[in-house]
Amino acid sequence: MRVAFLFVLLFGAVFYTYVAFFDLSFLSRTGRLGPGFFPRIIGVFAVSLITWVIADTLRDNRAEESPSSRWGDVAPLILFAVGYAVLLRIFGGFFATLVFLAVTLTILNRGKKLQNAILSVVIPTLIYLLFDKLLNVNMPPALFVLPI
Amino acid sequence: MDIFSDLIMGLSIAITPINMVYLLVGAMVGMIVGVIPGFGPSAGLAILLPVTFGMDPVGAIMMLAAIYYGAMYGGTITSILLNTPGESATVASTFDGFPLAKKGRAGPALVMQAVASFVGGTVGVILITILAPMFAQVSRSFGPPEYFLLALMGMLTLIVMIGEHWKLGMISALIGLGLGTVGVDLETGQGRFTFRSAELIGGIYFIPIAIGLFGLGELFYAFYKGMHKTGSGGIVQYNKEERFWPSKHDFMSTRMTMVRNSILGFVVGVIPGAGATIASLMAYSTERSLSKHPEKFGTGEMAGLVAPETANNAASSGAMIPLLTLGIPGSASTAVLLAAFLMWGLRPGPLFMEQNPELAWGLIASMYLGNMVLLAISIFAIPLFVQLIKVPYRILGPSIVVICALGTFSVHASFIETYLMFAAGIVGFFMRLYGFSAAALVLALVLGPLAEEALRQTLAISRGSFVIFVERPASLWIIAATFILLVGLPLLNHIGRRARLSKQPEI
Repeated sequence: MRVAFLFVLLFGAVFYTYVAFFDLSFLSRTGRLGPGFFPRIIGVFAVSLITWVIADTLRDNRAEESPSSRWGDVAPLILFAVGYAVLLRIFGGFFATLVFLAVTLTILNRGKKLQNAILSVVIPTLIYLLFDKLLNVNMPPALFVLPI
Repeated sequence: MDIFSDLIMGLSIAITPINMVYLLVGAMVGMIVGVIPGFGPSAGLAILLPVTFGMDPVGAIMMLAAIYYGAMYGGTITSILLNTPGESATVASTFDGFPLAKKGRAGPALVMQAVASFVGGTVGVILITILAPMFAQVSRSFGPPEYFLLALMGMLTLIVMIGEHWKLGMISALIGLGLGTVGVDLETGQGRFTFRSAELIGGIYFIPIAIGLFGLGELFYAFYKGMHKTGSGGIVQYNKEERFWPSKHDFMSTRMTMVRNSILGFVVGVIPGAGATIASLMAYSTERSLSKHPEKFGTGEMAGLVAPETANNAASSGAMIPLLTLGIPGSASTAVLLAAFLMWGLRPGPLFMEQNPELAWGLIASMYLGNMVLLAISIFAIPLFVQLIKVPYRILGPSIVVICALGTFSVHASFIETYLMFAAGIVGFFMRLYGFSAAALVLALVLGPLAEEALRQTLAISRGSFVIFVERPASLWIIAATFILLVGLPLLNHIGRRARLSKQPEI
C-alpha cells in the first residue's frame, strides 16, 4: 500500500514536472525569472526524491504491518465522507448532514438506535442554528429543494 | 514606557464584555480540542476558523489565539490521566505525568500542569510584550532578500527537525510548494496548473487543505488505529483522592524549573520550524540532567511534568513573535493564525504593530487574560473535560467530518474548496500513515508563494545576481543563523529523542 501511495505521488510529480517544462517558460520576455522557474526546480526535486524513497522502500521489502481489519474500520468512514460530499451538493447542508449522521452512526454506534436518532437530528439543528442564525455564514444550498 | 502605555491600551480593547466572552469561549473550545487525542492546536484552529467569520476582527483573533493556547493547556489532561498525549507537544508530559497519576497523585499533577502552563504562557507573553516591538524595529530594514531567506529558514529547520524521516518531510514540503504555485503568475499573468479552470485562477486556498490534512486526516488515522473501539476504561480516577491540591513541596521544588523552562521554551518557540514539541522534549532532557535525582525521572517526578509543560506553553507564545513581526509563521498552528489575519485583510509584518496597534496590543493583552482564564478553567473544569474524554470516537468522528465540511464551505461558499478539503483529508490520512509531515506541507504551502515572490523581487533588484544575499548585513546574519540552526537543531533533536528513548522502556 505504501508503494502504491508513493507511485501515485510519483505520477503526480512527473505530470507536474512535464507541465512545468513544456507549458511554462523558465524566463520571462524581459529576461527575468519566468513562471516556470520555481515549478521546474520543485518538479525535478520531487521526482528525484520520490524515486529515491520508492527505491528504498522496494529494497527494504519487509511485509507491510497493516492488518486488513484496520482498513475495515477506516475505509467505511472515508467512503461515507465522500458520500457526504456528494449529498451536500444535492440536498444542501442540513438534510445531507442528517442523512450522513444517521447512516454513519448506525454503522459505527451499533445497537443504540435512540441515541443515534437523537444525535442525527440534534447535531444538524445545532450547527444550522450556529452557522445560519447566530454567525450568519453560508450553509451549502440544495440543488433540489426538498418539500420540508 | 511606550510598551506599558500600549499594553494598557490593549487591555482597554480586550476587556470588553463581548471580547471577554470570545476569550472564554476560545479558551474552553481550545481545551476541548486539546483533550481529544490526536487533535492539536493546528487542527482546532483550522476546523474552527470559519466559525469566526461573523465576528469583528479583534474578537475573532482573540478567540483564535485563545483556542491556540487553550489547546496547549488541554493536551496534557489525557497525557496524565490516559497516558495518551493530546498532541505531539505533550508527549513529554506523559513521561512523569502518567506515573504520577498511577501513584495516586493525579489531582496534584493536573493542578501543577495548569500552574506550569500558566507560568510558561505568562512569561512567554511578558517576553512578547518586551521583544515584539524590538523585533519589529529590526525587521524594518528587511527587504525581499531577507524575506526569502527567512522563508527558506522556516522550511529547512522544519525539515531538519523531522530527523530520520527527512526525505518524507522534504517530499511533503515539495507537495506544499507545488500546490503553492497553482494560479495566475502575478508577474507575467500566465496561468500555472490552472487547466483553464476559473476556480483555480486565484490559486489553491490554504484553509481547505489545512482543515483536510489536520482535521479529516487525523480523524481517519485515529479510526485506522482503532481509537473508536477503545473505551475510557484506561482513565486514572482522580476525584476520590485524599489530597487534590499539590503540596508546598511541589511548588517549592519546581519554582526554578518553571523559570528556566519558560525562557528555554520561548527561545525555541521563536525559531521558525522548531516549535513546542522540541521545546518540551528539550526541557525534559535539560531538567533531568540538572536534577540531583535524575534516576527519579520517569517514575513520577513533579519536575519531569512541570518542565515540558512550562516549555511547550512558552514556546507557543514565542512562535507569535515571527508571526506578528515578520509575517512568517514558524509552525502549522501559526500558519493557520496567519491565514486568519489575511482573511480580515491584515498583513502581519514589521509595520503591523505600528499600523494596527489596537489589534496587535489587544491580542497581546488578551493573552495575559487568556492565561488567567485558562488557569481557572484548567483547575475547576477538569471533571468536565474528563467527561469529554469519555465521549467515544465513534460519535465524535462523524461530528468532526460534519464540522470540517460545513466549516470549509462557509469560507467562500465554494463546493470545489469543500471537495478539495475532502481530498486533502484522504491524502492527509495516507501521509500520516506512511510518515509524511502534514505540518511541512502546510508551512510550505504558506511560505512557498512568499519565498518565490521574494526571490523574484530580489533577483530583479540585483539584476539576476545571487551575490546580493551576501552583500547585505541582515541577509548575512540570517544565513549564519540558518547554518547554526541546521547544525544545532539536529543535535538538540537527538538529545530530546534520547530522553524519550531512555524513558520509554520504563513506562
